[in-house]
Amino acid sequence: MLGYSMPLYIYVIEDLLVSLVLLSSFVMLSSRWISFYIHAYGFQSFLIFVLTLILGIEAQSVDLYLVAFLTLFVRTIFVPYILLKMIKKFNIKEEVKLTLKIPFSIISGVVLTVFAYFLMYRLISPFSTKIVVNVSSIALSLIFVGFFMIISRFTTITHILGLLVIENGIFLLSVVVVPTLPIIVELVVLFDILVTVTAMLILSMFMKMRTGSFSTSMLNRLVG
Amino acid sequence: MNMKLFIFIVLISPLLASLSSFILKNKRFAEYISLLASSLDIIGAFIILYFVLNFKPIFLFNNAIAIDKFSAYLILLVSIVYFLSSIYSISYMRLAINNEKMTENEFFRYELFFNLFAFTMLIAPMINNMAVYLIDIELTTITSSFLVISEVTEKSIEAAWKYILVVSSGISLALLGTILFYLSGNIPGSANIVSSLDWTVLGLNAVYLNEGIVRIAFVLIVIGLGTKVGLAPMHTWVPDAYSEAPSPVSAMLSASLENVALYGIIRYFGIAGKSLGFGYPEVILITIGIFSIFIGVMGIIYQNSSKRLFAYSSIEHMGIITLGFGLGGIFGTFGALLQMLGHTLTKSTMYFGAGNFLHKFKTKNIKKIKGVFHIMPKTAFLFSIGSVALIGVPPSVIFISEFLIILQSLKDGYYLVAVILIGFLLAAFISLLTKSGSMVFGKADENFKAERGDFSPFSYVPMLLPLAASLILGFYIPNGLHNLLIGIVHIINFKIK
Repeated sequence: MLGYSMPLYIYVIEDLLVSLVLLSSFVMLSSRWISFYIHAYGFQSFLIFVLTLILGIEAQSVDLYLVAFLTLFVRTIFVPYILLKMIKKFNIKEEVKLTLKIPFSIISGVVLTVFAYFLMYRLISPFSTKIVVNVSSIALSLIFVGFFMIISRFTTITHILGLLVIENGIFLLSVVVVPTLPIIVELVVLFDILVTVTAMLILSMFMKMRTGSFSTSMLNRLVG
Repeated sequence: MNMKLFIFIVLISPLLASLSSFILKNKRFAEYISLLASSLDIIGAFIILYFVLNFKPIFLFNNAIAIDKFSAYLILLVSIVYFLSSIYSISYMRLAINNEKMTENEFFRYELFFNLFAFTMLIAPMINNMAVYLIDIELTTITSSFLVISEVTEKSIEAAWKYILVVSSGISLALLGTILFYLSGNIPGSANIVSSLDWTVLGLNAVYLNEGIVRIAFVLIVIGLGTKVGLAPMHTWVPDAYSEAPSPVSAMLSASLENVALYGIIRYFGIAGKSLGFGYPEVILITIGIFSIFIGVMGIIYQNSSKRLFAYSSIEHMGIITLGFGLGGIFGTFGALLQMLGHTLTKSTMYFGAGNFLHKFKTKNIKKIKGVFHIMPKTAFLFSIGSVALIGVPPSVIFISEFLIILQSLKDGYYLVAVILIGFLLAAFISLLTKSGSMVFGKADENFKAERGDFSPFSYVPMLLPLAASLILGFYIPNGLHNLLIGIVHIINFKIK
């Protein structure tokens, strides 16, 4: 378990890394360009990879090393690569249509983060160290920010990225709070990410071919 | 008896059917190989059920696969709909290729994903690890979203996008709930560590779980898997996806996928109930069930599209089933399980009928479909009896199950629930009967040009079989089924003696 019998500077590094994770999610909230989103996501996944590696060294768990390197390959390299390739192929330069203004998005993000901290503190503080509470509340706030991104932005790519951010949050939470989680779970979740992203990209290509855009704001034919 | 072989056959036959039909690219072969695979599955499902009922639960591969009575029942329900849908697909897809300009590529893609979808649904109730089960549910979402866009139109893309987005976010919430369940058994410093996500282990050690975390985890599970089941207010994708998918797929989505997702909720319901006492989870299921019934009935009343009508009816039925499980007790749980079977049988009939109407009239608008009785007498006859059976008029099995659920609510003193339920059922009764009546009877349009008469037997035989079964079960519930359902009631709700 995180937070026992390790030198102090490890905790400082972990705190720093996790605050950078939070920062990257705010970068996503405040940007207008899709490629920016994808790079921020890749950066965030890389930070989570480093964090998982440190946790693996702490817990001396081979499973966590394996999970960390799979995260590196899938979340940091493969998924951003295919997303960027897709953007290049369809030559997307359109800005993300925001329903909410950027300052309001950032304020909502802050509120969600505070709320996540409050929830996590209530839930796990009786039996966890401070650093676990910090990391897991940021993980929960990633989940909230992911949902917020889905509901406030109307492009297929941002929807996919929102889901991926939610997935990152769940992964971070599971690594920090329950490092003993059976490795099969992490493996199937990674597999699921691959399949879901591929399927959603294919669907959005169909959409691009039919409607000429990645925007989902015209998806309003089915009502009632 | 070596059960490994039968489970292997049940799983491998849809997989082989999907791959071979996609590789060989022969239309007749693709049609009949699906039919063959699904017939093998239904036989295999009966054999598994027989074994589990008469001998003992099956555990395979170091407990990775666990099949008890509940799982075997679910496998049977899925394979029934798979069988019926693969018969009906033959008629539906031939008509779609001849009349609706469906391309060959679209047809082979349909056959590929149709069988894969069945495979992912058949494996779900067998999985012991709940996290792997959730990922399998996510895979059913992906395979079925490609089925929703079998005919690529703007509307079907919209439906598929909403479906995959809403359900994937829901499943990630359920995954969060599952991780919290794991945390509840792995509190640092606690004496009793439950380090497993298998429902068998969680069920046995439920008393050691941390109660505060189980509370939150169960709510997350109900919201997450409830999205997949189509419980209100997470039902928004349901009418879109069900109405845009081809009818055989709508039947599979509505009649079996919902049951498979509800299975997960009920497994967790049992675990949470053992950990917290059944009061808390029961209240959650009752509330969400009543709200779903309300939304479903409102949707039925204000509906103009034939397939969306049945989608809302699915929401209503899932609400009733959830309410039944939530009320608990022997009548409530038994009623809910029986309602699963009744809903599976009648709803497939209705979707196949709506598919035939769609091919004949080229519209889903209820007001433009008139006088089917004069145009397609056999379909119309089965459709009208099916709609009467669906709303629970006495000779149908749904009457018995709904009656049992109402009885349980009265027995437990939930008088308000009983009154609300009866009121909503009456409202659904009146509006659904009016709408299907206007479609079946009514005066046919003078200018109606299409040829009169039914389609091939493949179009109405799959309507006849489940309808006959649901009516026979209304008169007589076989001893085996009765024992099976009683066994499942004891698995879910251990406090009943």
